[in-house]
Amino acid sequence: MNLLYVLSYLTIAVFILAIAKRFIKFAAMPAHLRWELYPVAHEGKKSVYGGSYFEDTDWWKEKLQQNKLNELTVMLPEIFLLQGIWEHNRKMWLWSFLMHHGVYWCAGMAGLSILYITLQFAGWGYSGVSSFVDLFIAVTGTIGLAAGTIGTLGMLGLRFFDAKMGRFNSFATYFNLFFLLAIFGIGFINLIAGVDIFRQTVGFFGALLGIGFSGYTPGVILFLTLAILFVLYLPFTHMTHFFTKYFTYHSVRWNDEPNLPGGKLEKHIGEYLQYKPTWSAKHIGADGKKNWAEVATSEVLKNDKK
Amino acid sequence: MTKNNYGIAEFSQASEQLEHIEMSDLYPLPAPYDKLEEQPGWQKIKDAVKQDYESSLDDTIAVGIPKPKTEAEAEKYVAAFLEGMRKLFTKENNWTFLQPLMLTMEHCAKCQTCNDACPIYEASGQKEIYRPTYRSEVLRRIFHKYLQPGGKFFNSLKHGDIELNWTTVARLAELSYRCTLCRRCAQTCPIGVDNGLVTHELRKLFSMELGIAAKEIHEKGSVLQLQVGSSTGMNPLVVKDNMEFIDEDTSERTGMDIKTPWDKEGADVLLLHNAGEIMAWPENPGAFAVLFEAAGISWTLSSDLVGYDAINYGLWYDDVQFARVALKHAQIAKKLKVKKIIMGECGHAHKALMVIADRIFTSEFNVPRESSMTFLEEIFNSGKIKFDPEKNDFPVTLHDPCNMVRLMGIVEPQRRILRALAPRFREMTPHGVHNYCCGGGSGFAIMSPYNFRDWRISVSGRKKMQQILNAFKDEPAEANKYVCAPCSNCKGQIRDMFEYYGVWEKSRINYGGLVELMVNAMVDVKEPYIEWGMH
Repeated sequence: MNLLYVLSYLTIAVFILAIAKRFIKFAAMPAHLRWELYPVAHEGKKSVYGGSYFEDTDWWKEKLQQNKLNELTVMLPEIFLLQGIWEHNRKMWLWSFLMHHGVYWCAGMAGLSILYITLQFAGWGYSGVSSFVDLFIAVTGTIGLAAGTIGTLGMLGLRFFDAKMGRFNSFATYFNLFFLLAIFGIGFINLIAGVDIFRQTVGFFGALLGIGFSGYTPGVILFLTLAILFVLYLPFTHMTHFFTKYFTYHSVRWNDEPNLPGGKLEKHIGEYLQYKPTWSAKHIGADGKKNWAEVATSEVLKNDKK
Repeated sequence: MTKNNYGIAEFSQASEQLEHIEMSDLYPLPAPYDKLEEQPGWQKIKDAVKQDYESSLDDTIAVGIPKPKTEAEAEKYVAAFLEGMRKLFTKENNWTFLQPLMLTMEHCAKCQTCNDACPIYEASGQKEIYRPTYRSEVLRRIFHKYLQPGGKFFNSLKHGDIELNWTTVARLAELSYRCTLCRRCAQTCPIGVDNGLVTHELRKLFSMELGIAAKEIHEKGSVLQLQVGSSTGMNPLVVKDNMEFIDEDTSERTGMDIKTPWDKEGADVLLLHNAGEIMAWPENPGAFAVLFEAAGISWTLSSDLVGYDAINYGLWYDDVQFARVALKHAQIAKKLKVKKIIMGECGHAHKALMVIADRIFTSEFNVPRESSMTFLEEIFNSGKIKFDPEKNDFPVTLHDPCNMVRLMGIVEPQRRILRALAPRFREMTPHGVHNYCCGGGSGFAIMSPYNFRDWRISVSGRKKMQQILNAFKDEPAEANKYVCAPCSNCKGQIRDMFEYYGVWEKSRINYGGLVELMVNAMVDVKEPYIEWGMH
């Protein structure tokens, strides 16, 4: 088990670093030209029909009102109910919903396990609170493993048999799904075989935090190993959409921030206009020495091919 | 290799033609447009053209790249494409769209949720290459295989394989002109991936690195506009002459004394028309003049080079050309010391100057910009003009230009005017931000090389055609009906579709802008302003 503990510490470190690196990568990118798409959720009442502040006379004279709460009313159903798939891809919804909830509930189980251990540290090991958390670990874990198993099986079926999807699948598409199925499935088999998977999982987290634990069964070791490996693998896949969705929505789809004179945005734009493009088409007139501002204000040349 | 029996990898395998559409494959239109034998059909690309120009994608040609004569020439194209792709992912070359592009390249789950939102994919009978995900997947595989660390073998295994060769490059150039950039697909993506953006970026790569773009939007579009003043070819003298004629005609038709003000320094408003209106639909700038004069607006047009043509085709294919035109517009407004620019009835010009250009202007050029939809509503609400809605007592429906509505959120002002001034107004289904593109978006409306006009009418405009017919399905065929389309490009596409199918003759459906309907309802204008008939 020591090897698994080492792998787990390593995984946690890699996960945090890789996610942070990815987050910084997107956060540090230049503020692109506006590319919003309506409805923009924070537009308040106008978001009901997709309206914007452009509907208002002399909109630049008023302080722009943004209803951030409204963003939550869109994001929460999107995250927890998969609203977009419900509306536009109904046949996938059930499987995708179950698969995603498999992940959510299992993550919840992990979180509760850590809470349980923390309660132990706090001396509430045998309190009512602790028993309550213990019960919740079993409930969330059971729901997670069952939903995840059914969901990934359904998604695999769709990927295999749906002609629309088939041609776009790559090795990674199947690998990811089989990987998830292996985790959920092995966990679920442990569960129905009567193995105390949740007690062992809590024990595992306890061991990671310094409380010794023994009594693992081979099936749970396999479950935990695969789960850890998946967490290690996740930051390097498109599944990072669980957090990059923040950028696709807030930085792109809903980013309607106007560039007002004297504002922070204007300062950044001034910096971007100093970049020196190297595009090769002659009509651009870029030579790697002129900056964007100079290129954009230069006379257009005829469209001679490169 | 047709009938949808190909995948992504086959895109790079040379063949005579990857996809073919039979008329019977197309999404059916309502009666009396449901009889295929009565439709004009498609011209075929001549063999001589096929020999000289790239045409291996489908039944049409939009760009028409000359085929390379030697292997070395083909390799040069491929190398330039790859170099362009590298640049697309650097902030120095593409700070303008780097973040959304990278997010889109790295997060598509290939769930195909966006497919059915695409009017081209649907109308074509779900042809594989027209899926919003198809061209993105081709680009994504090239991105992973040729630009990402990890090696070609591993990345091909992980993300799917594709070969980057002349066939791939040539087909991608054409395929980037089979999407109208309406971004309906992006609206449905739960992750926020934007396959419409991929089209935009591909066009940019071709234009900015290889100097390849559709002739109508580059050579005869933004280049002509920057050199002569307008993509219509009108220089300042000609445009003033034409507007003088429009003033005379409008005065005669309305009984008002209309004289368009030019280059009036210190006017409140600089009105920017799509110059295509002046050439093709003079009643539109005429109606603007009537309303502005009747409401006592202090306004002006500009006769400076570029200042009398709001179009900015760079929006669809080239960031530098885009910036050049936008800066000219801003400089002119600054020079005239106007309080604000009002965008005429042109969707892409709205988005270009009000939204996209917003982040290239530093304060010197940041002149406030407002939509004519908003401004017209203000005029309407001011009470300065008396209207009689009964003068518009005919069925009216509204087309939502994608750029103005889905991509800017200007949804209600035009509707509030129509509800008040057109008693028989009805919506299309779907409408507002969920509308369908007219089929002429992203430059298609002005593109008619070879048989491309047939394609854009039969395929990209098909869903809109269906929507328009359905909006009037309960009206008698002989009754006059009006499609209000407050966008020049959309009107161009609708005009071409109506001509192609003989819509005026069969269904008495006319089209025009919002201002024409407003003037038609003016109490002080005694004769009807709207002229019924195909024009």
